[in-house]
Amino acid sequence: MAFVQCSGLRKTYTVGDEEVRALDNVSITVEKGDFIAICGPSGSGKSTLANVIGGLDQPDEGSVLVDGVDLAKAKDKELSEYRNSRIGFVFQSFNLQAHETALENVISPLVIGGVGKKKERRERGMKALERVGLSDRAGHKPTQLSGGQRQRVAIARALVNDPQMIIADEPTGNLDSSRGSDVIAELRRLNSEGITLIIITHDPNVAAQAKRVVEIKDGKITERTGAR
Amino acid sequence: MRFSDQFRTGWRNLSRQKLRTTLTIFAIVIGAVSVTVMLSLVTSAKSFLVSSAQKTGMDKRVIVTGSTGLDYRESTWNWPDGSGKRIDKDTLEAVTKLPHVASATLYSQVQMIRSFVLESTNQELEFKNLSFEAYTPNGTIKHLLVAGEELSEKTNGTGILVTTGVANDLGFKGRESELVGQKLVLKFRTDMGPPDARKADETAVITGVVMGENGDGLSVDLEWAVRMNTMEWTQKGPNGQTETMKESQIDRYGYSSVWVSLDDKKNADALMAEVAKLGYGAAAGQEEIDTQATVFTIIGAVLGGIGGIALLVAAIGVINTMVMATLERTREIGIMRAIGATKRTVRRLFRVEAGVLGFMGGLFGVAISFGVAIGLNQLLNKQLEDSGITDRDIVSISPVIALVVLLITTLIGMLAGSLPARRAANMDPVEALRYE
Repeated sequence: MAFVQCSGLRKTYTVGDEEVRALDNVSITVEKGDFIAICGPSGSGKSTLANVIGGLDQPDEGSVLVDGVDLAKAKDKELSEYRNSRIGFVFQSFNLQAHETALENVISPLVIGGVGKKKERRERGMKALERVGLSDRAGHKPTQLSGGQRQRVAIARALVNDPQMIIADEPTGNLDSSRGSDVIAELRRLNSEGITLIIITHDPNVAAQAKRVVEIKDGKITERTGAR
Repeated sequence: MRFSDQFRTGWRNLSRQKLRTTLTIFAIVIGAVSVTVMLSLVTSAKSFLVSSAQKTGMDKRVIVTGSTGLDYRESTWNWPDGSGKRIDKDTLEAVTKLPHVASATLYSQVQMIRSFVLESTNQELEFKNLSFEAYTPNGTIKHLLVAGEELSEKTNGTGILVTTGVANDLGFKGRESELVGQKLVLKFRTDMGPPDARKADETAVITGVVMGENGDGLSVDLEWAVRMNTMEWTQKGPNGQTETMKESQIDRYGYSSVWVSLDDKKNADALMAEVAKLGYGAAAGQEEIDTQATVFTIIGAVLGGIGGIALLVAAIGVINTMVMATLERTREIGIMRAIGATKRTVRRLFRVEAGVLGFMGGLFGVAISFGVAIGLNQLLNKQLEDSGITDRDIVSISPVIALVVLLITTLIGMLAGSLPARRAANMDPVEALRYE
């Protein structure tokens, strides 16, 4: 069975008086170790799909089976545990806690999950920072880091709990092209180590590096492209 | 999320907004201080009342009167006017035989003094609004001694106790002990008995200065009082011979009451029931202590209520602070949720934070209250010393009150934090992440 199996997903938002169909009968499967790019213009529903697969949002209809567990029917506790220990999120705007150091940001999933003691957390946090090449910036606050460094801290945070999957929503959106490629290279390296990777992007250069590309428009999957 | 991590995170979040946190805590401190100090003042006053009552034996006292239906206070001032049952030596004998009576004495309040003179200064004071009590000094009646000693057999029958108010009027405020051993000349009223009845002055020796339990006055040995109370005069008999007549108020009307000291204060009701069977009235000192204690309890409730209002206002401050915090930290909450915080974790985080505000407020409040108590005691000790009371440091913050206040402020904080905490927990993480 596929690692992620979404079928018949529907999700409608009400914005003012208008109903927006973010997901309209979307079905998609993701195999273990896959690298998928979900592309589409803004407002197409690609972020909603990522949020649903990432357990941040739940669909109105349909099922999201991850390792046999249906996230569409899961309770807050299960969803939270899933977000905490099974997957890692990387956002366009980094979403680091500004008042915390890089290391504190990285170990925050361990703190929230109640994992390990202080020493173990520190060790795991430093290891994750080393993986993204930022162990020398552990004590810096996000404001003292460049955009690329911030995104790498965010990746280290996503990595710290040894997730099976990383979902990156426009990870290069706030970065210049050279820093963007560093980040994508970093993510690809993680994928090559066996982590399933889903990248939401509207950048064709980023999409081109994925094994599979899924096009989404007006809440519907319009096109699938095979592996590179 | 572990509690220790929640506490650390909460603490850290609070210290990010130092001024706001300080002000919120300050409001709780005001509430905590007012509740702690006011409740402690009342409990201190109550325990002072009770310990004083124990020293005088008031808690074990029952007063037997000729009239029925008098309360304790009325009983102490009761005046034999012929309306109730007569109180005399037979009454004492009957009462003494009753169960639970440890000791008893006849007691008399007699208005026969016109004025009294302190021999050493020749200062004369009118006997006005004063009590002149007489009893057998067998230990049944005790006072709060300021100087000297109680009446006893060795004080030779002509000893006299003066209250601090009288000592004050005699000019011995703060120097009460100097009065002990001095002579007090008692001058008698001339309007009692026949026109030619005259009573020579009597000289008493001050044995002690005491706190007046029921106002100010003088206390003497009953036997001596009876002798003093006897008027002598002469009149022509039916055969023209001169007769010497003797009469005392006490002989005519009887004594005021019998004062009983119980073996145990629990037995007051039992004894009073027995006394009632004999046809006398009775009132227990413990009732009066309870009445006064109730007054203190009511005052305590009112003052505590005022403190409670201060705490309520502080709680609104906590709500305000935490609502602000949820708004400011919307994005942070979103991030926490994205990396796996449950609604419950977010809710508890904010509640712990509010609880820390309450706890800190309570802690500082209680600490300041101890300081206030020290200050009040310094003021009060001076007053107590001036009025000749030996007790010191009567205001004390009971550890129970301190702990309860600490617990209450923490709970109030957590309760006040509940609403904002729920708001924070129920935020949609996707929306929260988008929040700028």
